[in-house]
Amino acid sequence: MTDTYSAAVRTNGLWKVFQQEAEEVTAVRDVSLTIDRGEFTALAGPSGSGKTTLLNVIGGLTRPTRGDVLVAGREVSAMSNQELARLRLDEVGFIFQAYNLLPVLTAMENAEFPMLLQGIGAEERQARVRALFERTGMSGLEDRRPGKLSGGQQQRVAVIRAVASKPALVLADEPTANLDSASSEALLDMMSELNRDLGVTFVFATHDGHVMERSRRVVQMVDGSIDADEIRT
Amino acid sequence: MLPRSQPTHVGVILILALRNLRRQLRRSILTASAMVIGGWLLLFSFSLGDGMHETWIDSGVRMSGGHVTVERPEYRLSRKIEDRLPADVRSATERALESPEISAQVVAQSARLTITGLASSPAGARPAQVIAVDPLAEAPFSMFDDQVIEGRYLEPDDRLAAYVGIGLVESLDLRLGSRFVVQAQDAAQDISGQLLRVVGIFQSGMPEADQSVIHIPFQTGGDWLGSDRDVTNVGVVLADSAMVAAVATHLERVLAEPIARGDASVLKWRESNPALYAAVAIDDFGNYLIYGILFTIIGFGIVNTVLMSVLHRHREFGVLQALGLTPGQTGVIVLVEGLTLTAVSGVIGVSLGLLTTWYFFGDGIDFSTLIGEDMTFSGVVIDPVVVPMFRVSRVIQILAFIFVMGAAASAYPARRAATIDTAEAMKFER
Repeated sequence: MTDTYSAAVRTNGLWKVFQQEAEEVTAVRDVSLTIDRGEFTALAGPSGSGKTTLLNVIGGLTRPTRGDVLVAGREVSAMSNQELARLRLDEVGFIFQAYNLLPVLTAMENAEFPMLLQGIGAEERQARVRALFERTGMSGLEDRRPGKLSGGQQQRVAVIRAVASKPALVLADEPTANLDSASSEALLDMMSELNRDLGVTFVFATHDGHVMERSRRVVQMVDGSIDADEIRT
Repeated sequence: MLPRSQPTHVGVILILALRNLRRQLRRSILTASAMVIGGWLLLFSFSLGDGMHETWIDSGVRMSGGHVTVERPEYRLSRKIEDRLPADVRSATERALESPEISAQVVAQSARLTITGLASSPAGARPAQVIAVDPLAEAPFSMFDDQVIEGRYLEPDDRLAAYVGIGLVESLDLRLGSRFVVQAQDAAQDISGQLLRVVGIFQSGMPEADQSVIHIPFQTGGDWLGSDRDVTNVGVVLADSAMVAAVATHLERVLAEPIARGDASVLKWRESNPALYAAVAIDDFGNYLIYGILFTIIGFGIVNTVLMSVLHRHREFGVLQALGLTPGQTGVIVLVEGLTLTAVSGVIGVSLGLLTTWYFFGDGIDFSTLIGEDMTFSGVVIDPVVVPMFRVSRVIQILAFIFVMGAAASAYPARRAATIDTAEAMKFER
């Protein structure tokens, strides 16, 4: 059985309710879920099923209404803003649908950014990032600003940024939604390799059937609840 | 387990702030230009204003009792000879002014016996302000000697000589060499008269002075009024009015004993010439008001620039927080952007202001076509040529003002950036 500390994420009786004017909208409904280190898991479901909200709660971007969330063994629910910022910096890597690279930084600087915040020295930062650039076929693009990269290239930089600081897990919200099928396939290959070779834990929110096919575990969400949890071999 | 403390990320914050300013280069330059012009105008106009006020003050204090004057407390209102300074207080004051602590600031000093009397000639009688002076000390003090239009100023060996304003000369139908009589209350409180002869006629440009002032030798005054070497006041003209407080404090310390027993008081020009002080204060207030309005407008420009930049970068601030910056650090990025913009443009503006001030140091700016050449008010002859004045304290004051304004204008946008909902910010469409 998986104990609390070997799990990358554990949620227990998790709820997230938004107040929209006079109406309460339940985005996450009593979700209890454990994701072990090294998993390659997809949270699947239609729009509005609560998968992005669940990712946000796990990543400390949104506080749960009730229930517990443990990330790398640390209880997230009661953390202060500063503690949440530190958790995101040390334990969580984010990949967004819209890439979200910082436009004023080069590809290399974007990838280094979380490590810069962590206080890691320039030599180590650059060594880690250069290795990942090389591994992902991005060598030679280090000095380009995001505006000078294609969508697929930007998303690769975003993946490198997410994994270079060696977080406990990487949360990816619809990472392939803005990419063409070739770029999407290349990106999934890249993340699969990083998962297999480096043991990076990936959790995707997606409704892309192709991403689900490539995932080793698919958690189906409907109306904020887990409808099915399928482990593929 | 407590998390490790969050580093301040000064370098990261600076890099992001500076690159964001460069990213919105046109907007940054436009806002900075307003600030540069504002800083430039602010410094130059205050230098010009300070120079003008210094001229007013210099002119005003020379025509009255100096930047600092020592006299008996009662004399200010009574103007009577019995309220004169005791001889020991005069000596102590003169010794104090020679002390190394303040002597470098003293441009001129004059011990005077000033009384109100009646000047009469066969043509009539007029009230007069008779000032018994040491000609050598008085000349650099009041500069009345420069205003001679006929004859000459007093000389040390003169005895019954009188240096008379043009208005009084005309009223009494006098001319060079004419004799006339002045009468006043003497030290024994009797009415005493003195025969004088006109050796010089002056025109100060100030009707009040020209119609009443008579300078006579100090010795003549002492003999006539029986006051020996006593004076009614000792006045001091300083190189810079900014030194008034220091010199007055020094004199108060040295004269602590006579001040305590009521034999002396030390007056700054603001107290001895309140009308002049009010004129300077009103003019300063006007400047502060105009520049307050100007900088409020510029401040709104900065708020607009920084706030627009924040609103356009909502998602970016969300990303920064998702990557591990705290809300406070996100706000600091915006604050640094605003402060950098104001600091750089403020320094450039103030530097341009200094250059302009320096350019006009020599000859000043001639406003005679606007205000004429014979304008006076409150005992001051207004010089139409204004030479700007450089004060380090003014530069520091203006830079501090610009910086504080920049901080205030950036505070609201910074708060907006710090309080975004990170998850919501991610939903923001570009």
